[in-house]
Order: sequence, then C-alpha cells, then structure tokens
Amino acid sequence: MSEDDEDQSPPSDLRSQPPPCSPNKSRNCISSSSSSQTFPDHVLENVLENVLQFLDSRCDRNAASLVCKLWWKVEALTRSEVFIGNCYALSPARLTQRFKRVRSLLLKGKPRFADFNLMPPDWGANFAPWVSTMAKAYPWLEKVDLKRMFVTDDDLALLAESFPGFKELVLVCCEGFGTSGIAVVANKCRKLKVLDLIESEVTDDEVDWISCFPEDVTSLESLAFDCVEAPINFKALEGLVARSPLLRKLRLNRFVSLEEVHRLLLGAPQLTSLGTGSFSQTHQSEQEPDYAAAFRACKSVVCLSGFRELMPEYLPAILPVCANLTSLNFSYANISPDMFKPIIHNCHKLQVFWALDSICDEGLQAVAATCKELRELRIFPFDPREDSEGPVSELGLQAISEGCRKLESVLYFCQRMTNAALVAISQNCPELTVFRLCIMGRHRPDHVTGKAMDEGFGAIVKNCKKLTRLAVSGLLTDQAFRYMGEYGKLIRTLSVAFAGDSDMALRHVLEGCPKLQKLEIRDSPFGDVALRSGMHRYYNMRFVWMSACSLSMGCCKDVARAMPNLVVEVIGSDDDDENREYVETLYMYRSLDGPRKDAPQFVTIL
Amino acid sequence: MEGCPRNRETCPKLLDLIPQERKWYHDEGKNNTDQEKKLELRLAPPGGDEEDGSVMKKKNTKKEAEDKTIFNLSGNHFSPSNKTNYAPHHISQKRTAPGPVVGWPPVRSFRKNLASSSSSKLGNDQINKSGDGEKQAEPKREGMFVKINMDSVPIGRKVDLSAYGSYEQLSFAVDKLFRGLLAAQRDASGGEGEGKPIIGLLDGKGEFTLTYEDNEGDKMLVGDVPWQMFVSSVKRLRVIKSSEISSALRFGCSKEDKMRN
Repeated sequence: MSEDDEDQSPPSDLRSQPPPCSPNKSRNCISSSSSSQTFPDHVLENVLENVLQFLDSRCDRNAASLVCKLWWKVEALTRSEVFIGNCYALSPARLTQRFKRVRSLLLKGKPRFADFNLMPPDWGANFAPWVSTMAKAYPWLEKVDLKRMFVTDDDLALLAESFPGFKELVLVCCEGFGTSGIAVVANKCRKLKVLDLIESEVTDDEVDWISCFPEDVTSLESLAFDCVEAPINFKALEGLVARSPLLRKLRLNRFVSLEEVHRLLLGAPQLTSLGTGSFSQTHQSEQEPDYAAAFRACKSVVCLSGFRELMPEYLPAILPVCANLTSLNFSYANISPDMFKPIIHNCHKLQVFWALDSICDEGLQAVAATCKELRELRIFPFDPREDSEGPVSELGLQAISEGCRKLESVLYFCQRMTNAALVAISQNCPELTVFRLCIMGRHRPDHVTGKAMDEGFGAIVKNCKKLTRLAVSGLLTDQAFRYMGEYGKLIRTLSVAFAGDSDMALRHVLEGCPKLQKLEIRDSPFGDVALRSGMHRYYNMRFVWMSACSLSMGCCKDVARAMPNLVVEVIGSDDDDENREYVETLYMYRSLDGPRKDAPQFVTIL
Repeated sequence: MEGCPRNRETCPKLLDLIPQERKWYHDEGKNNTDQEKKLELRLAPPGGDEEDGSVMKKKNTKKEAEDKTIFNLSGNHFSPSNKTNYAPHHISQKRTAPGPVVGWPPVRSFRKNLASSSSSKLGNDQINKSGDGEKQAEPKREGMFVKINMDSVPIGRKVDLSAYGSYEQLSFAVDKLFRGLLAAQRDASGGEGEGKPIIGLLDGKGEFTLTYEDNEGDKMLVGDVPWQMFVSSVKRLRVIKSSEISSALRFGCSKEDKMRN
C-alpha cells in the first residue's frame, strides 16, 4: 500500500558543479611536496570510496558530497540509489553525467493534484527520455520505482531489453501502458524479483501476460497486480506461483475469485502479504472449500488486502490470520460494523489499517479498543460526494486517538468534525507526523459550535510537534494559517483546499514554515501579494501548486523573471483574451536544466 | 442535483444573503457593480454531470462561475477581506450549494465507483455509473449471477444472466433449476421423478410467475422492458405463485434493504 508515501529526506542536491576544492582539507596534498600529488589523492580516493559506499541515506550522501571536490567525486561514484522527487528538476543527461554507477532509480512525476482531474491528461512526466538515457549509461540497472509517471509499452520494452540484471519494477499511480508492456517485462527480465503495479492505470491489451513469465523457476518475491482491470489466466498464475519458491507478496486483482485464492493459498503457504482479489465465490458448489483452513495454514501472512467484491458471509475465513496481521486493508469492502467487529477484535498487532467509512464510528471504536499498536489509519468514503451521509464523524477519530496512542499517520474522510475533537486528538497522539483530514463538505464549520475549524487545526500543529505532513479542510480563516506558520516548523507537505480569507494566510505559511517543500493549494483566495511573499522560499521547495486561486499572469511573470531557475508553468490558461490575466493553475518548481522541452500546448512556461 | 438552486426563482433569496457573504473580491466599489452584473446573468448549471469530469469540464464550469455569483449558503463567520490585489472575475467556483466540483472530495477515481458497483452483498453485477472520466474502465465480469428463489422451495439458486439473451432463455433456465427441487418439495416420498415442467412464467398463465427486484428496491414483473435493460437493473429474482401476485409485490421483505444501512 503506498498512497502518497512521505519521503523523509530532502531532495537530492544535484548541482552540476562540485564545490570548490579546498586543499587545506586534504592533508596529504600539503604534506607531500616532492612526490606527485596524484598518489595520495588516489589513496584517499580509494579509502573514501570504501567508506562512502556504506552510506545509504541520501541525506547523508548529499551532505558528504558538499565537503570538497574529492568527496563530491567519490560520493558520485559510490551512489547506487538515486532519488529524484521531481522529474523535471533536471534532465536525464545530468543524472548520468554525475552518477556513474546507479543501480536503482526512484523517480516522481506529476504533482498529486493530477490524481483528482485537476490537470489535463498528457501534461508530461514521460519516462521515455529517462529510460533511453539510462539504457546507454547504466546497463547494470536493477531497480526502477516510478510514481505518477507516464510510461508507455515501448518504454517498458526498452527497459526489459536494456538491463539484463533488472530485478525490481514498481509503478505507483502511473499510466500510459498496458498488459502488453507488462508481458514484455515478465518475459525478458529473467532475474525479476519484484513486479508491483500499484494504483496504476493499466490498459487491457488482452494479452495473457501471466503466461509470459519464463517457464523455469523464477526469482519472484513480490507480484502485485491488484489495479489491473483485466481478467487473467488463472491456470498460468497457479503455475507461476508454484514455480516461485521465493514469493512472499502476492496481490491479486478482482478477477481472481475466492475459490481461486483458496487454491493459490494451498500451494503457497509461505506468503507474508496477500491481496485477496475479489473475495467472492463465483460458482455454487456442493462442497464449499474450507477457506478458513487455507488461511490457517498461512502462518506468515501479516498483511491482508483486496476484498474487492466482498461476499461478507466469507469474511470470517480470515479469522485464523487476524492475530498475526500488522496491516489490513479493507478499503474496497463495504463492511458494516456488525460484520467488522468480530474480525477486528482479533487484530491485536495491527499497525496499518485502511477501511471504508462503512464501518462507522462504532467500528472505529472497536479498532481503538483492540489495536493498541496502530500507527497508520486511513478511512475512505464509501460514497465520496459532498452531501453524502457520512457514517463517520469526530467521534470515531477521537476514539481512535484515545485508544491508539502510538498513532503516526492519519487520513480521514468525514462529513462532521469538531474543534474539541481535534484538540483532544492532538493531545492524545503526540507521535503524529501525518495528519490529513478531509471534511467533505466544503467550508464546513465545527458542527457543534458552528465556528471555523481554526482552533482544531491550530491544536494539531501546536501539539503534534513531529508533524511533517498536513492536509486541512472545513471552514478555515486566516487564523488557522497563522497557527500553521507559528507552530508548523517541521511541515514539509501542505495541502489546502477551499480555505483562508486573504493573502495573509498564505504569507503566514510561506514565512513561518521553513521546511516546507511541497505546497498544493486549490480554490483559495490567495493572490499576488501572497505569491510574492514566498519568493525567498521557492528555490528551496520541490514544487508549488496553486489552482483556482486569485493569481494574475502579470505577477507570475514577475516571479518567473526574478527567479531564472524556477520553472513557472501556467496550465490551462484560457485562450480567449478577456481571461488572459487569470491564472487557472500555477505549477512551479526549480530546475537545474531550464524549462522542459516537452510541454504540451495548454502549458505556458513563463 | 437535489437542492441546488439553479433557476431564477431562487435569485431573490440569494440576493438577500449577499451582504453577509464572504467577499472574495477586494475592491468594494468594483464589487457592487460586478456583483449585480453577475446576478443578472443566467444561472446555468455547471458541467452537469454527477461525477467529476476532466479539466475540460472544469473550464466550462469556470466560465459559468463568471456568470454566476457565489451562492454562499453557509454564510456565517465571514468578514470581508481587505485585499487590494488583482481580482479576476471568476475565482474559485466558490459555491457551497451542492454542485459537483472537479476533484472534490479528493478521492482517486478507482475508489469512486464503490457505491455504484457494490456487489458484495447482492452477489451480482451493476452497471458502473460513468462520468468518472478517463480512469474508469468497464469492468469485465466473468458472469452476472443473481439469486433466484422460488416460493415453497427453501433453497435458492443462482443464475448467470450473462449466459442468456432473452426472457425465453431465462424462463427455460428457471424451469431447469427448480423443476427437480419443486417436485421434491411437493412429493416428499420421491415418487414421480422429474416433475412437471414450470411454464408460463412470463405470461401470467402458468402456476408461477417470474418477478424481480430492481436496483431501486422495487418488485417488478419480469418481461416489460427490453432484455438488456432488465439485465442492467435486476438485483434478484423470485418465482412466485401467480395467485399471490398482489400480496408478494406488497409484502416482499428485502434482505438488501436491511443490510444497506
């Protein structure tokens, strides 16, 4: 499960020029005056290489690379895993010029609001230039992890052909490819360990990609295709699982029935993570398989998901594994509280829990009573409309905060919330690093007092001192943002929608949150004054998104002019003259290599 | 959508609300004329679709937001802002009237069709409400199984509607499914073998009549609408005694209704 993972480290500092050489730092340079300078440098370089190769964290590596020219060079030689948080921050050529021995690439493309149709399709984030550049530069590439990128079948084919040692492909929220591309990867990457398609859009090319895996024993450890909306050849899947002794994670799509899962489980009891497919039985049979027994045999399962078309009468079959579960994803299953409570009652070790709001406040109370180890909670709306019923409210979330004190990450969709509950939550859960609350009705106030939600969110930023990610909603005035600016010192990601009264709100944030990296705002009354107030920050941020705000073209042009390394994209601005001043969507980010060349027609780069 | 004030008749009420509403637009002087100008214009519905569409739709909505004023029905705790910066005509479509807004709530498309395609309890397929745009693909089901019960037979069956193309075929299938069971019920001693064929399900002339419950929970006679329309709306089937038609249609208990909420 990886919906919007938080990346913990600051972005990779990929400056082209290494820092200037300081000879004083290199003692050997000074001491040896007679012998050639290359010898001690060479030794030092070797030593450094041996030492630096143990550095994993990119934070540390970025710091090391700034010490001096030598360290910069050696670090570049030894960095095997590269993280690029914005694919347009630099060109592929720059990557391959600096880092010569990359084995693993993590690349992120579109901004998150693109997921909600706020950006036209074909905006960009194409994987093609990256794969073609890396094909020549990194023949030993092993791992590619993409998020919100546009990947074509050709790109996948090139990937499969160019990297003989390729081991891991993870595509999160990607699109542009289909089952034919997957088939090529399955077929040609003989050392494939991980093929994870997560929340991506995969077109059905009617290719039996499961059958394309090689005939002999595979090295597969993880296969996730729950997002693939296409039937699969179950017999081939069964054979594949049978010849994949290392397989630990298997996430099936909804075209796999309960009977079929049962058969797979019988053959693969060593699984640790299972996506259960549809969890519905397709055929009536006289002898119903003993599903519970199959689950009981899976002693290692700690992560359960799927339940795409749940037949609730079969849910108790998972009871035998509940006691071991650390992660449970019911977010596709419309489960009532009565169905849910007997299940959750057994899940004492649960740390990650995703579900629909159909479990109601009552279900959340049951979670609070049992799951004392809970770290992450995500509650999605069964009926995601502004005016829907809303079976969960502040009561459920507050109950969770009281029962699950170790809570770190919350994503909660509801229709009703109160400031008092948020205050209580902030006090109960000091470990919170991610707090994303979506009160689905826009501008909705505290439903008990009728006041704005300022105090509640204020308490969250004030009391949750480790907070790095915040998404706000409901009726919010500038005061809420004043709190954010004052207390949100560690906030890196901020999502704002339909909030605030004036430019001051955004100013508070831009001036008060020094760690802010990713700012996404929609439909809020922030204008030019606010935009200008943040100019000292934009070079240090990964991106800023502002849509349906009060920005003018003139101001955006000024910003673009004042900050040459900032790419200022205006998206979807109107073609008719009268609207030319209005900026529909502003998306800006720093770039080392100037504006991109692949911008579509509806994007204007200032 | 329900409750959405779209027609002119509601205009006067909203005019009353204007003074209390939040003012997005800064310049007071400019405001009044702009507000009035906006109020005069037609209050057209936005995109019109229930679900979020593409940004193209948003463009249209934005244009119409130019024409409409802000229906701020939540109007409380707002103070006029003192902005002096540029005020474009059509800022955020700031309506709290229940009109659909693109990308709100921020739920990804593949999580959106749960309400319409919830087949878990009913064990059958439903047609996805489209309008979600690009990300939603028509799911291909392997079969469209619906429950079918028959009066005086305690055990129900399931029938795959996608396997049939007409009511006649369905009628034959029902006969096949229940003939033996019905005979077993009626003659416990197990004498006669196969039993009588079940006919006349559709024309009211037989001993039994085929009815169904549709996606709105209503009990209907099978056979009125074209086959495909029937398939798209049927949730479960019931074979009832023709003599009991009126009572069955009135007093049928629906398990789905109990489980739905």
